[in-house]
Amino acid sequence: MRGIEFFRNVSIGQYWPGTSYVHRLTPATKYLWLLVLMVSGIASSSYAGALVPLAVALAVGASAKVRPGFLLRGVKPLVPFVAFTAVLQAVFPWPGDSSARLLSLGPLAFTAGKARLVLMMFARTLSLMTLIGLFTSVTSESESVHGIEDLLAPFGRLGTSAARSAHRLALAVGIALRFVPIIVGELESIAKAQASRGADFGSGRGGPIAKARAYLPLFVPVTVRALERAELLAEAMEARGYTGEGRTRLASYPKQRGEGLARWASLAVIAASFILDYVFRSR
Amino acid sequence: MAEKSDVRRIAVTGVLSALSIALFLTPFGYIPTPLGVSLTVVHVPAIIGAVLEGPVVGIVIGGIFGATALVKAAIAPQGPIDLVFVNPLISVLPRLLIGLAAWVVYSAFRGKWTGVAAAMAGIAGSLTNSVFVLGALLIFRVIAPAVAGAIFVTNGLLEAALAAVLTFGVVAVWKGIESRTGKAKLAEEK
Repeated sequence: MRGIEFFRNVSIGQYWPGTSYVHRLTPATKYLWLLVLMVSGIASSSYAGALVPLAVALAVGASAKVRPGFLLRGVKPLVPFVAFTAVLQAVFPWPGDSSARLLSLGPLAFTAGKARLVLMMFARTLSLMTLIGLFTSVTSESESVHGIEDLLAPFGRLGTSAARSAHRLALAVGIALRFVPIIVGELESIAKAQASRGADFGSGRGGPIAKARAYLPLFVPVTVRALERAELLAEAMEARGYTGEGRTRLASYPKQRGEGLARWASLAVIAASFILDYVFRSR
Repeated sequence: MAEKSDVRRIAVTGVLSALSIALFLTPFGYIPTPLGVSLTVVHVPAIIGAVLEGPVVGIVIGGIFGATALVKAAIAPQGPIDLVFVNPLISVLPRLLIGLAAWVVYSAFRGKWTGVAAAMAGIAGSLTNSVFVLGALLIFRVIAPAVAGAIFVTNGLLEAALAAVLTFGVVAVWKGIESRTGKAKLAEEK
């Protein structure tokens, strides 16, 4: 039964409370920056381009008074993974890899092309991890749910059905986040109930088919009860007159000074990062 | 039973997404096998959502699950492969297709027998997940083609069979409940 109480200690991301300019930006602006930097980090093919999100995230983090150590704390456990990936790359040859051999051991070879791949992957991952770390540290959970709705708001101008879809998507995300603890509790209690009847979870014995059969009495009740909860929730929402339209909310995010500037600046950043990437790639 | 409303669709999307996230974050979503690889069922809620409530519900559940995978990979990576899942083209995009594929197959077979259609949808959704995630890993040159093939054989095929069994189980029970009592069981518990 080890691991059943596991979830109680897990927290997704950590909010670093503050009142800085970055914290006070509207959630939609934060999402915009997140997306822009993500795209530039992924699309780039030079080291410099891949590291742009890291540099921007550290700079923005500094202005928001989030310690760089807090943003980079996920990096240390990365090192063994990168080493492992490098070993994997060395073991499995890429077809048509004609770059210079840096290290060779019998039929195994670690080539310059592979080294570049591993380094690029590390740079890109480092950038994206720091970026998402920054986003979660300056955006609270409710802000990130409302932000989805605000971010999709421009589509609302395309027509009322688009506005409805945007609102519904945000609502589904909100419901999902609120139901996770309930479903985890249900998984725990049903797993314990089945274990008390002699079910065997977690041990490596038995073939895959036996495993799947043992899993059925856990998965099916949990899923069916989840669906029942959804029915009840829908009924309760409809009973209170919810139709998916014209809903207002308690929290509002007034634009602060410089909000528009911050939004336009994100476009400048993506343009700059592509230019930088182009310059470094052609060298 | 009551007419399917949009509110109901939103609620099902939210709750099944929560199930997917819960399976993903706890050991319950992974079944250890003697081979040493773990089979996963975290994508099955997206398939079930697509079968019960249509393609949009399945796609959104897949998207929410993919986004969770992305955030978790960035904040608490637990293995070398986790690292690359910070790339949304690997973690989110393939997951959007699960619900779509499951729904296409389900509606193609629906006329015959709902149970068979649900099992086929489970296979289709699961294989879509395996093929596109492994495909994305190949495109980004994270793993070599030989590794991708091996993972597909050890995990992909078994997960497809598992997804078929679980989707069939849930859909059979759920459809049975709907026709017999006409309302949710929890409603009677007070």
